[in-house]
Amino acid sequence: MSNTSTMVTLTIDGIRTEVPEGTLVIEAARQVGIMVPHFCYHPKLEPDANCRMCLVEIEKIPKLQTSCSTRVAEGMVVRSSVPHVESARKSVLELLLGNHPLDCPVCDQGGRCDLQDFSHEYTPTVSRFKELKRVFPKQYLGPVIETQMNRCVSCMRCVRYCDEVMDAQALAAEGRGTITQITHWAGNELECDMCGGCIQICPVGAITSRLSMYDYRPWMLKRTETICSYCGDGCQITVQRKDDQLIEVNSALGAGRNNGDLCVRGYFGYHAAEHPDRVQQPLVRQADGSFAEVTWEEALDRVARQFTRIKATHGSDAIGGLITTRCTNEDLYLFQKFMRVVIGTNQIDSGARYGHINGVRALRRVQGTHRWTIRYEDLAQADAIMLVGTNVNESNPITALHVKQAVKRKGAQLVTLESLLPVRSTVSNITTLSKHHLEVKSGQFSAAILGLVKAVVESNLVQEDVAREAPEFVQTIRTNVAKVSWDAIREQSGLSQTDVETAARTYSQAERAVVLVGREVLRSLGGEGLVTNLMDLQILTGHLRRSGSGLGCLAEGSNDQGAVEMGAVAEYFPGPAGLHDEESQKTLTRTWGQAVPAGAPATLPEVLTRARTGDIKSLFIVGDNPVESLPGDAGVTEALDALEFLVCQDLFLTETAKRAHVVFPACSAMEKDGTFTNTEGHVQSVRQATEPLGESRPDWEMFSALSVLMDHPIEYNEVKEIFKEIRGVIPGYGLLGPASTPPKVDEKTVAQYVTSGFKEDVDQRYTLDASPAAPEGALTLRLVQSLYHSGKYSTRAKGLMEIEGEGRLHVNAREAGRLGIEEGQTVRLANDGGQATVSVKLNDRVPDAVAWFPEHFDEPVRALFSLKVDPHTHVPVWKTAHVTVTKWSSTNRSIEERSRV
Amino acid sequence: MIFHKHQATVNDILSRYPVKRSAMLPLLNLAQKEEGYVSQAAIREIAGILDLTPPQVFETATFYTMLNLKPIGKFHVQVCRSLMCALVGADPLVDWLRKHLGIGLGQTTEDKMFTLSTVECLGSCGTGPMMQINDDYYERLTEDKVGRILKDLRETGDCSLKSGPFLVPERGEGVVSL
Ligand code: SF4
Ligand code: SF4
Ligand code: SF4
Ligand code: FES
Ligand code: FES
Repeated sequence: MSNTSTMVTLTIDGIRTEVPEGTLVIEAARQVGIMVPHFCYHPKLEPDANCRMCLVEIEKIPKLQTSCSTRVAEGMVVRSSVPHVESARKSVLELLLGNHPLDCPVCDQGGRCDLQDFSHEYTPTVSRFKELKRVFPKQYLGPVIETQMNRCVSCMRCVRYCDEVMDAQALAAEGRGTITQITHWAGNELECDMCGGCIQICPVGAITSRLSMYDYRPWMLKRTETICSYCGDGCQITVQRKDDQLIEVNSALGAGRNNGDLCVRGYFGYHAAEHPDRVQQPLVRQADGSFAEVTWEEALDRVARQFTRIKATHGSDAIGGLITTRCTNEDLYLFQKFMRVVIGTNQIDSGARYGHINGVRALRRVQGTHRWTIRYEDLAQADAIMLVGTNVNESNPITALHVKQAVKRKGAQLVTLESLLPVRSTVSNITTLSKHHLEVKSGQFSAAILGLVKAVVESNLVQEDVAREAPEFVQTIRTNVAKVSWDAIREQSGLSQTDVETAARTYSQAERAVVLVGREVLRSLGGEGLVTNLMDLQILTGHLRRSGSGLGCLAEGSNDQGAVEMGAVAEYFPGPAGLHDEESQKTLTRTWGQAVPAGAPATLPEVLTRARTGDIKSLFIVGDNPVESLPGDAGVTEALDALEFLVCQDLFLTETAKRAHVVFPACSAMEKDGTFTNTEGHVQSVRQATEPLGESRPDWEMFSALSVLMDHPIEYNEVKEIFKEIRGVIPGYGLLGPASTPPKVDEKTVAQYVTSGFKEDVDQRYTLDASPAAPEGALTLRLVQSLYHSGKYSTRAKGLMEIEGEGRLHVNAREAGRLGIEEGQTVRLANDGGQATVSVKLNDRVPDAVAWFPEHFDEPVRALFSLKVDPHTHVPVWKTAHVTVTKWSSTNRSIEERSRV
Repeated sequence: MIFHKHQATVNDILSRYPVKRSAMLPLLNLAQKEEGYVSQAAIREIAGILDLTPPQVFETATFYTMLNLKPIGKFHVQVCRSLMCALVGADPLVDWLRKHLGIGLGQTTEDKMFTLSTVECLGSCGTGPMMQINDDYYERLTEDKVGRILKDLRETGDCSLKSGPFLVPERGEGVVSL
């Protein structure tokens, strides 16, 4: 179904209609308001025509046809409600009901079940089938999914979704005939992406969520459309509650950037906000060190007085602020405004410092816009997609779905530069779809990217007009890459010249090519330079300015992008605009009624250093948790303990909040209104789905309340007014919402970059640093993002904890064999920093000589890591360490156990 | 590693199909030949060879009653219970076997010698009642005959009363019997 398709005219139940060639009859009917009953058909899936429910009569075809698999033809005459069509439907239903239990009163699908609806419409109340019905015991398919196979109508939607859409192939149709049932396989515990898609797509109640079993009837639920806060994809979710109890989260077909698909965190992770450990009352530290619950008045008053005092005695720059990127744009904007206007400091930073900032800086520098110039729709149109250090399936699962669809349905050629093995299992693995998978040695993306540029330059893949228009740019890069040998590249990255050249050719020669860059690059030392080199690659191959081509940096946090745009990072005012941008200074001064502060900014590492040295006396930390987001040797606790006054605003008493003098209870994204900006740059509405828990309040309200108490009132009646102000201060912020068009590359910036801008650091960017080799016999330990979690926040979600409740050391079977360890065994990890005992999980996508540990549970292993700070962008880098692994004296233990017996 | 020693056969099977996945049944058969049943390890291995997941191999295996997903006895006794055989005494034959072996349908004797099942028509309707044990047919069965067959098999591993199955053309004449 191409865009330029010819139209076909047909008649359905007497209605003439025109639809594009290739449309399915069932869809054509839907468009004129006729719903042909169906079970196995689903717009997301390839037609399977196995249930026979959708039969229609088509003139000149002797037998009834399945409208879900028949495509329209010119002059076709379709009848969907003539007597023999209806009688055929009755027969299909009679057969289905012959084995269907009378479960409706206890079935979670009751009230929104296709079988129920169609039965009401078509079935005779008496069946001719007198046999006993089949009986399957109900089964738990893993920790969060239940199956009731008596209810299954064998439409295979779940199996097909899991295969075609998720690419997990985790479900099996076991057996045949009436005793077919949907299982994982051979009684093994379900291992899969746990996306909940099979539950969502089942037309009956055969697959259900164990988190909400028997709790509700669909018509009792109140629904709110909002945005998931677990990652930068920004999926639209429907939060459903009964009274004030959260019952279920799902997403409707066609909704949001995710088109109704969700990942495990969105589907099963909704309980985090309801966790009993939520701080529900303002807390103030007592003389004895304990916290006392106080009223808002008291807490706010205490903070306002202390901030005022410190500002008066030590100056504005004795106070700094950090904020999490889980906050809405409005919260982020108001926080930086509060810090700049009321406190009077530019010492503000946010979670975007953990890596996203590297990408934003490079994009701004080269293409003049910090946003993606492409969007998900461009993935579907792309001829080639290149993933660089993304772990996209784990960090941005819905972006991954778009990539999977582009490859599987549209034939895009996938090039992956990832530090993982393309091993297929029932958890989807994006690299199994690659045309060229380049397994980059962990942490060696610098050499890999350099290789790509070298291949393009040396294999004559540079676009002629680029060579003509920017000869010096091309020549400088050529001279630089010539100095690096393929041997050196292979030595560091593990990639051969041929492999890199083939990948580079696929990318360069594609008409439309999209590059996605992820955390392995963004969170690395020199990350900004690496993204800049990838931008060079785009310039050299002509992709930078080609429509449909572009580069996107994947935002991990739900509002990483927003944090930068709202000016909640050290280097930017809202916009983002540079702190010395006169235009922006003028606008802000006018809007805020006060000059912007002139003091120096401070990044997260600088804020902590200044706190340690006593230059900063007080910190306002909103939702960020540096104690647990940085390794032990970062000295965060020392910094916080040196403060005179620490204010934390959070949902939980985190390790950071525990050190505060005052804690404000914040409410979760489920409990407030506002907007998030997703990784593509779409600004989407967050809507309040539940009442704020206890006394908790939206973050912005606290900034506003403090400003009033500090005699600098910045007040708003509702969150929309803040958004209006944001639109006023950021030029061009009007392009919002799901229909927005991505920004274009700024020609002036590119021209400036290729003529002179690149010279600034090109020599450094194209040299290989000697990377520290792993000590002999040591394993490279990496803290990785798990698909089932997001930061530490998701470890409060009971569903996700059922799925993955602890951190285990992932190694592949070969490595385990070499180390003499087995699944489930306890091992000891050690290096100069410390040691840890953890248990082992075999995972065959982990490369040799490497072990993964989920960062969400890093508490026991954090001592093994040490902090490095990017000298240029101040991104903290620390998620790789070298460790030795020894078996945790299992023999001694078993002797002990034996003697006990 | 079930297929390790059959690498040549596996390669030969794979070479026959333009779509890899099509090689699934021959591989399942090979696995059953090797181990007597299709083990989970075999399913994993086949999935690996065909670039599929275990559930995809498993679901195919469960479709075919002739593939055993649990270990079976050394001799798989499969009695035809279709119409022709039923008319000439398949039911009493099954009852006799149950009693004699002390097991029910689908079960295996404790010494792991015999597994008993019933199957549909084996195409020997003129010589019923009949049964197939592993690859061999035993026809025109009587209690005496069956008693002797079981005894011979138990003691010597073979029985002279077997016949067929007859392949056309004969085995070894270019037919790959997998
Ligand atoms: S990945 Fe798991 S949860 Fe998602 S559709 Fe497949 S079986 Fe269901
Ligand atoms: S479980 Fe549901 S979706 Fe899957 S085959 Fe059965 S009825 Fe269809
Ligand atoms: S975590 Fe990301 S991909 Fe998953 S549902 Fe939420 S926004 Fe979507
Ligand atoms: S919907 Fe058409 S056959 Fe199932
Ligand atoms: S009926 Fe028994 S072999 Fe045909």
